[in-house]
Amino acid sequence: MTAETILQSLLSGLLTGLMYALIAVGLSLIFGLMDVVNFAHGEFLMAAMYATLGLTLVLAIDPILSAPLIAALMFAFGALVYAGIIRFAMRARTNVGMVQIFSTFGLAILMRGLAQFFFTPDYRSIQHAWTSGRTFSVGGVYLPLPQIVGALVSAAAFGGLFLLIKRTDFGKALEATREDAGAVALVGINRNRVFMLGWGLGSALVGLAGAVMAMFFYIYPDVGASFALIAYVTVALGGFGSVFGALAAGVIVGLVEAITAMLVPPSLKSVGIYAVYLAVVFFRPRGLFGSM
Amino acid sequence: MRTPSFARRRGASITWAAVIAAVIALLPLFVTDVYTQNILVLTLMFAALSQSWNILSGYCGQISLGHALYFGLGAYVSTILFTKFGIIPWIGMVAGGALSASIALALGYPCFRLRGHYFTIATVVIAETGYLLFLNWDWVGAALGIQIPIRRDSWLLFQFPRDKIPYFYFALALACATWLVTWIFEDSKWGYCWRAVKDNPEAAESLGVVVFHSKMAAAAVSALFTSIAGSFYAQFVGYIDPESVMAFQFSLLMALPAVLGGIGTLWGPALGALILIPLNELVRSYLGGSGAGIDLIIYGLLIIMISLARPEGLVSLFTRRKLPALTG
Amino acid sequence: MKISRRDVLIGGAASLAAVSACARAQQSNEIVIGALYPLSGANAAGGVDARHTLETAADVINTSMDLDLPLAKSAGLAGLGGAKVTVLYADHQSDPQKGRAEAERLITQKRVAALIGAYQSSVAASVSQTAERYAIPFMAAEVSSPSLHRRGLKFFFRAAAHDEMFSKAMFDFFDLLRKKGKKIETLSLFHEDTIFGTDSAMTQIKLAGERGYKITADIKYRANSPSLTAEVQQLKAAHADVLMPSSYTTDGILLVKTMAELGYKPQAIVAQAAGFSEDSLYGAVGDKVEGLISRSSFSLDLAAKRPSVGKVNELFKARSGKDLNDYTSREFMALLILADGIDRAKSTDGDKIRQALAATNLPGERTIMPWKQVKFDETGQNNDADPVLLQYVKGKFVTIFPVQAAVAEPIWPMNPATPGKMGQTAS
Repeated sequence: MTAETILQSLLSGLLTGLMYALIAVGLSLIFGLMDVVNFAHGEFLMAAMYATLGLTLVLAIDPILSAPLIAALMFAFGALVYAGIIRFAMRARTNVGMVQIFSTFGLAILMRGLAQFFFTPDYRSIQHAWTSGRTFSVGGVYLPLPQIVGALVSAAAFGGLFLLIKRTDFGKALEATREDAGAVALVGINRNRVFMLGWGLGSALVGLAGAVMAMFFYIYPDVGASFALIAYVTVALGGFGSVFGALAAGVIVGLVEAITAMLVPPSLKSVGIYAVYLAVVFFRPRGLFGSM
Repeated sequence: MRTPSFARRRGASITWAAVIAAVIALLPLFVTDVYTQNILVLTLMFAALSQSWNILSGYCGQISLGHALYFGLGAYVSTILFTKFGIIPWIGMVAGGALSASIALALGYPCFRLRGHYFTIATVVIAETGYLLFLNWDWVGAALGIQIPIRRDSWLLFQFPRDKIPYFYFALALACATWLVTWIFEDSKWGYCWRAVKDNPEAAESLGVVVFHSKMAAAAVSALFTSIAGSFYAQFVGYIDPESVMAFQFSLLMALPAVLGGIGTLWGPALGALILIPLNELVRSYLGGSGAGIDLIIYGLLIIMISLARPEGLVSLFTRRKLPALTG
Repeated sequence: MKISRRDVLIGGAASLAAVSACARAQQSNEIVIGALYPLSGANAAGGVDARHTLETAADVINTSMDLDLPLAKSAGLAGLGGAKVTVLYADHQSDPQKGRAEAERLITQKRVAALIGAYQSSVAASVSQTAERYAIPFMAAEVSSPSLHRRGLKFFFRAAAHDEMFSKAMFDFFDLLRKKGKKIETLSLFHEDTIFGTDSAMTQIKLAGERGYKITADIKYRANSPSLTAEVQQLKAAHADVLMPSSYTTDGILLVKTMAELGYKPQAIVAQAAGFSEDSLYGAVGDKVEGLISRSSFSLDLAAKRPSVGKVNELFKARSGKDLNDYTSREFMALLILADGIDRAKSTDGDKIRQALAATNLPGERTIMPWKQVKFDETGQNNDADPVLLQYVKGKFVTIFPVQAAVAEPIWPMNPATPGKMGQTAS
């Protein structure tokens, strides 16, 4: 194992980790806001990937350019899901958490079925994106362009998210609702509206991730399943509701995965991530930066 | 504190349980179609699985989505003891149960300090780790799984090549057992403890050690029955591999009937299993052949509609008023 | 919308009642065969393709076509008065228990004469056990685990090859190249961790040991991994003469993309089909695998010598939009051979069909495959289902092995040898 190999592993892990972070942050936001597990998060990712594919085929827009549009579409979709499903699920007087899990679980199955119905189970790819197949080689270490772009988009998204939360009224309303959903009505904040916009924002973020991933990953109805578990572990590791936590945890997960694969047979590389999660929550039961 | 109405309700529920169990026990006289019998066996098994999940996650409030670990352990322990050492599955079942309960206790120590979703994710990753370990462990067959030689009808070896009725009665017995255990727990020191913890975790902190022990008890009992069901499943299907007995999907499937029916209630899991399992099977069988995903669309829509129409669980259809909080 | 308690009870009772009452009356001029495939979930693509294939095969059987294939010339099964073959499809969702439940349903409610399937060896194992118990023949269409025919089942039949035969073809090819002076000393294995990958790797390791090839890397990876960077790095470091992947489509696509991203160009890739026999993979990354070699059951080149191959391919393409490949070709022949057995049995009785199948003696020329013949041994396996090796050249598959079937010389190596570190010893 040479220094070059190790460096390659770590850098690839870092890039992958930033993608994991982007996929996870939307989930974390929704969690933190209203204590809801979106079981269909992987399917939202899948929907965004199909939407990107569609735009590329129909309008011949490169995924990099269509990413903001996809984010906007997913924002609307997320808000719709809240208004149409989640809002009713939250009316339960008891077991609120489990009912939301159940209804989003049903949504996940429904979305997979619809994807299979409309697009068939065949595997698709975006062939000729601007970033496709380009890779930089620096001193023997390879950095593929799609992953670099993905990492940059992820960093930009997190930057934008920090600004949104700290500097805008909406962001402050988000924080306030997160702290005490019951009391915010007293200061004139419409709780329902904040939840709906929160869902929209969370979905927009995973939409961005989907648009980026469509550049280098294959697309089919079940593609979300592979990422869902990593997303949940990342969110929990970073701390539910913590945006910075999602970023830090994503990077950690990416690096740990890469390092573990160097030490044990690659089929067991996820065990490293799981071990790290368990170790962290043993000492910090609310994840790295969680406050809920 | 036992009020007279509470005692009456408890007496009523056990009478109802006995009647229902008796009626179910007579079903094989009327149901001769093998496919339907299969659905009945699966429904009863999931009623039992969901009820034992309910003990830990419903009553005790520690939502686990990693119970497939115990199910898989039960399946593998009894199968390995049988295929490699010739030990009959009944003993294997007990061994598997003991192992699962012990592991649940060992995991309880570090895990019960976690709350809410953190605990849930911990259960998921632990189960996933178990799954990956078994997938890569050659001695237990790794991905190839283990085939159980099922040659002739035998109660001693708990195998029946074509007959589903013996499995039906075992599953019924298991479902009754888990129901009974829950019924006993409801009116026990542990039961009161759990209700207190669920209603007000911080106040229950003052009960300290008692809370911790009660959670451990719940975890062990829950794991025990889940594991027994796993051993049962191995003998029922005759083939196990990590994908079919230890995967995350299974953990989810154990929880859903309880959520649908009413988490933390006595009848919720059974009711949920009664609706969910036949639905799952029938939709797949009669709508799944096209490959167009129609069965998934219907199944998903139904789950959404049911969960929205009755968010507290279907059992709320049958209760005239809310179950009283027994702490006052 | 409120669901009342009555609705729930009525709904539950109704569904159970409906199931019990369901048993379709068997029409006398119809032979029903049950097909078990994954029609939803992660492997649905394979199941849907299988459905297209079996529909094509049923067409060939049921209508009169001028093809030199069993049952093509007549319309329906002549031995049963022109009875038509109907295929009923059931979704097993890649779960052996569900496969068994569907098999039982098809056997007891739909009264199928035989079963065919199942894309996944684990489900095929379960379904064939069920078929055995009901004395119904099971034709394994495309499942390749070598253990399937060794379980002492009387009603199990497999016309196509299994993993040991496939891997043997690959190593026969290596031996041939070595004799011609090409340098092939080291191999690296890249296989997923489910039954397919595990079986494949096992046979390859065994053959490598027997025939004197060194394995410099044995990389087992988690199927459907979100990232394969670490795995490909290890392959790159191993620097073997030949990379031998056993991957499904999703992993295959990711593997090729990652290799390109990390600048890894193996001298040769010899794949165990699966993902590397699927259109979607070449659609996604075809430009990066010029010269890739894969084992296959089927060779489209054969159409030049055997008209039925081209005609059947056209029929299939009309339904599915793709050419026949390693999987679909096997499924097509499986149904034909199965129906032929039923035809010769002149009966829908399980035992009689079994006997007829056991007596099958079909010359290779009367199939669309490069097989020598179809003759089942006492375990139900056809040992003459000779595989071929195809090379992906300029967007098409060219048969390069065995010599009798080859239409061109293999292009070897696929990429020029790069100076690099010698691989580490096998773990």
